[in-house]
Amino acid sequence: MAGGSKLSATLQALIDKGLFDRLPATFSTFFFEQIQDWELLFPAERDYHERLFTLLDRSDSALVERLFEPLRHIEQTMGVNENNWPRRHFTLDQVDFLNRSPRYPEWRKAVADIFARLDPLLDEEIASAGHPRLVVVIAPGELPVGPDRMWLRIRQHGKRVPLEAPQDVADYLPLLLTGAGHKDAANSIAATYAHAKAGEPYGAWAVEAGGSLTGNTERLVALSYERLRDYRARLMSEVRHIVETQEVRGPRQLSAKLKGLKIRTSEGDVSRDPILAEFARAILLSGNGTLLVNNTFVEWSTVQAVRRARPSVAVVSFGIRNKIKPFSSLLIYADQDTANPIPTQMDTLGTYVDLEIFYQYIWQEFEKYAEYRRNTAYLFVAEGMDELFAIAPPDFRLLAETKPVKLAEVFGSMKDWMNL
Amino acid sequence: MFALTKRRFLQVAGLSIANRILPNRLRAAAARQSGAGRKVILVTFGGGVRYSETFAPEGLRNIPRLVEMKPRGLFFRTCANAGVLSHYNSTASILTGNWQRVDDFGFQPPASPTIFEYYRKATGASPTDAWAIATNKSFSLIGSGSDRNLGQPYGPNLVLPKQLLLEAVQGVVSKNADAGVANRENVLRHLETILSEGYEGVGWTIFKAGRQLDRTVRETLTHALVEYINGPEAPSSGDELTFFIAREVMREVAPRLMLVNFWDMDVAHWGSYSLYLQAITKTDRLTGMLWEEIQSNPNYKDKTTLLLLPELGRDGDINAANGFLNHRSGDASCRNMWMLAMGAGVAAGEVERPVFHVDLAATAGELLGVKAGEMTGRPLREILS
Repeated sequence: MAGGSKLSATLQALIDKGLFDRLPATFSTFFFEQIQDWELLFPAERDYHERLFTLLDRSDSALVERLFEPLRHIEQTMGVNENNWPRRHFTLDQVDFLNRSPRYPEWRKAVADIFARLDPLLDEEIASAGHPRLVVVIAPGELPVGPDRMWLRIRQHGKRVPLEAPQDVADYLPLLLTGAGHKDAANSIAATYAHAKAGEPYGAWAVEAGGSLTGNTERLVALSYERLRDYRARLMSEVRHIVETQEVRGPRQLSAKLKGLKIRTSEGDVSRDPILAEFARAILLSGNGTLLVNNTFVEWSTVQAVRRARPSVAVVSFGIRNKIKPFSSLLIYADQDTANPIPTQMDTLGTYVDLEIFYQYIWQEFEKYAEYRRNTAYLFVAEGMDELFAIAPPDFRLLAETKPVKLAEVFGSMKDWMNL
Repeated sequence: MFALTKRRFLQVAGLSIANRILPNRLRAAAARQSGAGRKVILVTFGGGVRYSETFAPEGLRNIPRLVEMKPRGLFFRTCANAGVLSHYNSTASILTGNWQRVDDFGFQPPASPTIFEYYRKATGASPTDAWAIATNKSFSLIGSGSDRNLGQPYGPNLVLPKQLLLEAVQGVVSKNADAGVANRENVLRHLETILSEGYEGVGWTIFKAGRQLDRTVRETLTHALVEYINGPEAPSSGDELTFFIAREVMREVAPRLMLVNFWDMDVAHWGSYSLYLQAITKTDRLTGMLWEEIQSNPNYKDKTTLLLLPELGRDGDINAANGFLNHRSGDASCRNMWMLAMGAGVAAGEVERPVFHVDLAATAGELLGVKAGEMTGRPLREILS
């Protein structure tokens, strides 16, 4: 293995049999690259790759040939050959090649058509081994709207459930997530699941803008924008240095350089797990605002966790985004507090607008995968609010409630749903 | 070096305004040279904006000025970007009339000549008659292609205001000046210094047709900076400076062909929907102000065609990528945009048939009376008729 990471025996046997060499180059090369760092893949990713290629291997070869024929044809017209597509090497040059090709839209369609045929078969296997799943999405208490203005983009898919909010708002999230007040310091639903299902590593995630949900949480995957502060600061400094000293020619070269910026032990607990350490690095250096905006980090981490790890329980907690200071867009990788002494201010209205679309993106992302369809309870809550919004199968108990429900009862419903 | 006070700087700028009486002679010469023909201004909503945040019913609230303008213009419901969905290739396609597939990040010139080159070569127009003012700081090579018979000698004056700002702001931060970039004077000093010390260092192309003309251009830009820094709102974005420079160029040298590339809405990559919407509304406002300038400036009124379009869209909400944050999926939300033509000779109305980004250069060529070379795009007969 070029990546120096030992591949599964199943996949290695398929490679040795020549399966990858029989598939169209753009398809097989991409996947070959994906599995290079096998030990840095989540179990769900490993499982997917094994199932995908085992399916192709065991299928009738004439059918497989027919399935890939349109893609082969497009590759020919695009000029894919061994020089521009070395069989075992997929780099950003290949991405560039595809992007610039006039046949790129057709190529995308051909690939989509292939997966439209394969995914239902792979999904059947998943659905047959399905189990209840839970997603809790928490909005901060400072949003300047009431429940009537919340969750508008997904409103038609679920139901608003009245809540009996506690007197002390400090108890709100603890009651919801642990069933007890904040003084009791009980385990959260995610931590409880992680402890109960020790055989399901990476099965429970807590992703948050702040740092209150992800304390001492063994077995729970805990990602906090706040707790990654030192790592973020170092990454920004490194990127700024690279850009300012013009050590790299462009984004591609920058991307290669950034691969080496791994989290240090002192910069966060995720450093202890190589898979999570690489996950955090990739999230923060994805180039999409995750270094700069707390809620972008939370959204993108969640989306990537769903795509890659398929957690059974996910607690996702957003925060308030700060107002952008003048010239911030010009100083992307600078410490905004140092660069501009204007006091930092919360942007509560902007955060509300940002989150409305993120609720939709997050819910949609889960629902793209067979693991979640028809067996996942989604609870959207806002700290302190006397309603929550639920999207769930009909047998999720909370959907039948008509009177205000105590938060401890919501916790009980979640626990029951997850058979804990 | 930085002892220049605001008052002193304004005095200098004031002198530069007085000095501009002198270059009138040059401007008149330029006007004679280019004739009294049609002028064309291309405005791109660079960075990418979706239909859903603009001319879809739910997006109209973000673009009040365009909503006002639309009934007076010719609205093309579908103006498609069928090319590479990167900023550089998209805008280069608009300028060349051919789908560009060069380096996405601006390290190569367009593969075919731009409308600037065709215009200047065909008419013998001076560099001051063709300008590209782009917030996107990677556009330093976009003005002209690599054709040996055309190329940079026939390209536009090209200004990258955001790059200028970037240098200035970084200068303020690195020197740890009092109050940092919160102090407008700090930024102004650095902007002025950069202009004085050489704009080539920030990727610009300013043709030097003699020292006098060079000074005129510099004074024009300096005046725009002063207006920007001391404007009614706190200056904060590249697009605002782009607008001020574009307006100053229109007032001072009145080019016949100009590209104004706004780009702030690419803040969408940060993942904040509200900031993206704010940027759209800001660009909408600046576009409205540009239209007002066209209407009130005698050099432009009744002889200018404004062609306004997004350079690309952004991924749809039901997309595997990540919705509005990105623009590479190739779905309809990325590709199918609109185009609004306003001004001289343009009848109000709407056009149903799909047109393409590459049609813009061909149309601009016809409007300017210039025979362009081979283009994939076709002139939009609805505008020309």
